[in-house]
Amino acid sequence: MIDFLQALLDGVMLGATYSLLGLGFTLIFGVLRRLNLAFGPMILVGIYAGSHLHLSGVGPLPAVMAVTVAGAVLAGAYVERCSFRALARQAPVVSMISSFAVSMQLQELVALVSSSRTLPYPAPEWLPAITLGPLLLRADGLLMWGGATLMMLALFALLYRTRWGTAMRAVADSSEAATLMGVNVAAVGAAAFLLASAIGGVAGALIATSQQQVTPYFGLWATVKGLTTMLLGGAGSLPGAALGGLILGVVETETLWYLGGQWRDLVSYALLFLVAATAGKSRAGWSA
Amino acid sequence: MSDYALSLLARIGIESFVALSAYVLLLLGRISFGQQGFFVIGAYAAGIATAVHGAPLVGGLAAGALAGALAGAVFGVSMARAQGLYFAAGSLAFGELVRVALLVFEYRAAVGPDLVGPAGADGFRGIRALFTSGIHIGWYVLGIHGLLALVLVATVFTLRGRWGEAIRMIGEDEAAAATVGLPIRRVAVATMALAGGLAGLGGALFAHYATYVEPGHADVMLGVHSLAYGLLGGLGTPLGPILGVALDIGVLESFRLLSGYRMIIFGGLVMLFLIVRPRGLLDEATVHRLGRLARRGGEGNAEAGAGR
Repeated sequence: MIDFLQALLDGVMLGATYSLLGLGFTLIFGVLRRLNLAFGPMILVGIYAGSHLHLSGVGPLPAVMAVTVAGAVLAGAYVERCSFRALARQAPVVSMISSFAVSMQLQELVALVSSSRTLPYPAPEWLPAITLGPLLLRADGLLMWGGATLMMLALFALLYRTRWGTAMRAVADSSEAATLMGVNVAAVGAAAFLLASAIGGVAGALIATSQQQVTPYFGLWATVKGLTTMLLGGAGSLPGAALGGLILGVVETETLWYLGGQWRDLVSYALLFLVAATAGKSRAGWSA
Repeated sequence: MSDYALSLLARIGIESFVALSAYVLLLLGRISFGQQGFFVIGAYAAGIATAVHGAPLVGGLAAGALAGALAGAVFGVSMARAQGLYFAAGSLAFGELVRVALLVFEYRAAVGPDLVGPAGADGFRGIRALFTSGIHIGWYVLGIHGLLALVLVATVFTLRGRWGEAIRMIGEDEAAAATVGLPIRRVAVATMALAGGLAGLGGALFAHYATYVEPGHADVMLGVHSLAYGLLGGLGTPLGPILGVALDIGVLESFRLLSGYRMIIFGGLVMLFLIVRPRGLLDEATVHRLGRLARRGGEGNAEAGAGR
């Protein structure tokens, strides 16, 4: 029972970052109606930029994380330009393919700039671990959970309390109606994309600081986690994505504990296959 | 012919099968990021047939194609109704699922003094049917291309027939195809089985060429490349994806100067093509124009002959 609870706790802390990845995915999908498969590799670029700052020995953890977010946003601006704005008149799936092509470029770029495949990422050494009776809350897990939760609260405040947020929700509900109301749909779309990149950057920084290292495989991994989370949450629902991340995190840590590492990936991909095969076309609105 | 040129030719032939399989699904309006899964299933099945059970090479190739088609049918039954991004996400999950499943898949048997068969993450060594049957590698590569030509002709005729018509109708507008009474589910499952079989045959050919397969051969990059080949080479004819393969492996990869930048150039090329020529070099309009040109040339000659 204690094992189950410990895995549950670890799962919730890990799942909070999955929620962030899923929210970034959902933001782009909701506003643009398009899937961004370069989402993970965009974040990868940011993490590698942060890691290089760390290696140069000048950056403390907050600076490394800030560079990570800035790198992800920069890469996001490139992806938005090439795969979304340039293809706005074509079918949504064209953007999806294009974003995968661009993600190849980003991954290769990372491999070119970093001769070594695995790079270190700083850990939060100043944070203490907390023990709750027999349960242990690891410092990096707490940082993941706290950072992701704060970021989610900020995102929901932005979406539900500001004019920009209202505009994004309006476009997500109906871009035609939003156009008639005088919303600049293209500008709102680009803003949502960059916001999603920043959210992804934060998620990437939190995950990297927990694992204390990064490999090029992170790119596809993060894309798959974000996609699974989004589809688990109903493809378009923001609260759904937040919940979907927690579910995925808990399922993964419980599988890891009871069945082992290889089963975790197997179960996680099977889950994606299942939600893709069964997902209906109905979509939960953002306003409710 | 140098060994290097021969290896390039072999890869062009083998990857053409995977590109064809992704192309058939593209015509159906389905974007697959998972054809590498069927490729590796075919490779493992063919290897098990020849190396573990002692089947002849031809039997191994048939086993690979059959296993790919079976996996395609199972995949199709569960994904037939999924469209757009759901199909894409499901196919991506399928490809990765096959890869991680093979990491724990063991099926080993004693053949002579050795244990032969898939050994989880260590892969599957010793698929030597090509050498035990004494076929020279040059003849084998020629055989790959001969088989590819046969499959290509068969694909062209299939796509011209009723089945091909149904595939294209569903790809153009699934709702309209349903209203005229097309059995969407049956056509979709059959087409996914066909695509799985094509990729599986490619995998079977690869396994016997390389003598070794591992879970890592189900790399998602193979699936994405095979999808991109059709988009580069053109969707108007089955020759399109093969032109795409030849361009990528024959040009981009053989220029060793570009070696470190290959993915950057290839990715950029796909991105640019999607903007300026979304249905590839040999798109439907170009193929139609070329066809008319060829016919007019032919009629011209006939008239000239009649006039004389």
